[in-house]
Amino acid sequence: MTGCAGDQLVMLNCEDQLLDVVAALDIRDFLMASSGNDEECPLDVALVEGAVLTRRDEEKLNRVRERAKLLVAVGTCAVWGGVAAMDGGRDGDRARLLAETYGPTGAAYDSTPARALHEVVKVDFNISGCPIEKEQFISALSHLLNGNAPLFPQYPVCTECKMRENNCLLIEKGEVCCGPLTVAGCNARCPALNIACVGCRGPADDANTTSALAMFGEKGIPRDDIVRKLRTFAPMEGPGV
Amino acid sequence: MKILKLPKNKLDFFASVVQQFGEVHAPVEQNGQFAFQPVRRWSEVRLDYNRTILPPKKYFLPPRETLLQYAGDAGYVPVMEGLDKKIVLFGVHACDVYGLNLLDLVFAGAYRDPYYQARRRNAAIIGIECTPDEHCFCRSMRADFVEQGFDLFLFDIGDYYFTLVGTALGDDMVLATGPLFEPVSHQDVEEYKRRSARKREAFRLHVEIRDLPEIFEMEYSSDIWQGLGERCLSCGSCSMVCPTCYCYEVADEVQLGSREGPRARTWDSCLFATHALVAGGENFRKTRPSRVKFRFYHKQRGFVAEYGRPGCVGCGRCIVACPVKIDVVEVLNQLRSVQNVASR
Repeated sequence: MTGCAGDQLVMLNCEDQLLDVVAALDIRDFLMASSGNDEECPLDVALVEGAVLTRRDEEKLNRVRERAKLLVAVGTCAVWGGVAAMDGGRDGDRARLLAETYGPTGAAYDSTPARALHEVVKVDFNISGCPIEKEQFISALSHLLNGNAPLFPQYPVCTECKMRENNCLLIEKGEVCCGPLTVAGCNARCPALNIACVGCRGPADDANTTSALAMFGEKGIPRDDIVRKLRTFAPMEGPGV
Repeated sequence: MKILKLPKNKLDFFASVVQQFGEVHAPVEQNGQFAFQPVRRWSEVRLDYNRTILPPKKYFLPPRETLLQYAGDAGYVPVMEGLDKKIVLFGVHACDVYGLNLLDLVFAGAYRDPYYQARRRNAAIIGIECTPDEHCFCRSMRADFVEQGFDLFLFDIGDYYFTLVGTALGDDMVLATGPLFEPVSHQDVEEYKRRSARKREAFRLHVEIRDLPEIFEMEYSSDIWQGLGERCLSCGSCSMVCPTCYCYEVADEVQLGSREGPRARTWDSCLFATHALVAGGENFRKTRPSRVKFRFYHKQRGFVAEYGRPGCVGCGRCIVACPVKIDVVEVLNQLRSVQNVASR
């Protein structure tokens, strides 16, 4: 779908495992990796990246869903809508946005409010992340080949951050760190480098947004700033998978 | 128990001698906080630390570890590499020694954990006396002094460390230093007692633990739990930093294109929605208030019923680590309808 192709890049950057990947999988349709693709054949597994941003995306996604036994949403855009779906992306007024951006020709563009895959088709499971983690991708493939769905942590980044014994940017420095709300799996990469979590992996299963908003409010951070930050990668509705 | 004293200005020499008993790990500063780390230079060790981000638990029950490898014909093969590595934990506070003693009840009692036990056997513990800060309530939890669980324990008495020798290994360390340790005098004993009394007076937080399990029984339906559940972020921080939280989950990984792989153990928390989720999608503790309540009940009531004392050492780490300022002392005193009750 529409996206930066960063997740496909992560897949191809799994250098140490690439030979194992091609040995274990019969790759039929992967434009970034292969020039000869079969765009019609049935698929056991479809890994789909990006958000649905055009009518063409939607048609293509429906076609992929028909072809595939399992459809896996790969990356935050596919799982949650991602940056394209952030607050302004779904304000309903597409025509105005198109006119503002492209002028009089705007109306001619094929552009729809950004949607996550689950808003269009049935998604069997998600690999979130912006981009996804190599380990989770390889783990997902390995489990799939054995007929299992992968088990990824549902808890927030804070848990992995504490496991690494990082300093807490939220408590010690009062930074707007989205760690308590964001799903783990990245091993708290950013906080370990002294950078507050921006929430790029999307919300944790059980994120307590109400309490977190109150907490940030007590730190004197304007509510709008927080809401905008929290919605950068994920709009309000969850993927429900 | 053998009691000696160590000249303070010979501490670095003593530390260099104990290296022969294992890799020395001690608290070092990390951007204003502290963490137990392998010691590269003795000068970076901060024995005046308040608390480390993670307790020494991390050495015995690491956040992540591989328990075994599984493969078709080979079956399950335990992974025991590295478990025999000798370490010396230098500068452990009494509450953390107490915390390890509690973990021993769990992992070296009725259900023996060979991984935990092997690491425990291979670690020497040198304790050090500390000064309570605004989050410490170890005295209320009876964890401000330990009679066991250390090889040596050092108390600052001015120019010397008053030293309790707890084990034969501790005695070996003393002997390995040659004539470094000296006998204690009557004045040293008096100084120890004076400082010990002064420390007792320094606690600012107090919780009464007598009849606390019974109060928990009485307050099972208290509104407190609902309020805490609404505040809790389920971020798991309190569990990760807790010296006595020992819940873990075990899951199999699989190597790509095979039916073999590692079985790994990872820290878990009862505050996670997945913690009491079982096959079929049933969840024993579906709501966040029920999970927060469970954590408190397990520490202050369940653990007492099982092991005769609370599963809390009063180290204050959960108070420091909670983003929404859930404070265990406040909660316990609120349950009792008292404010900061004296624990004498």
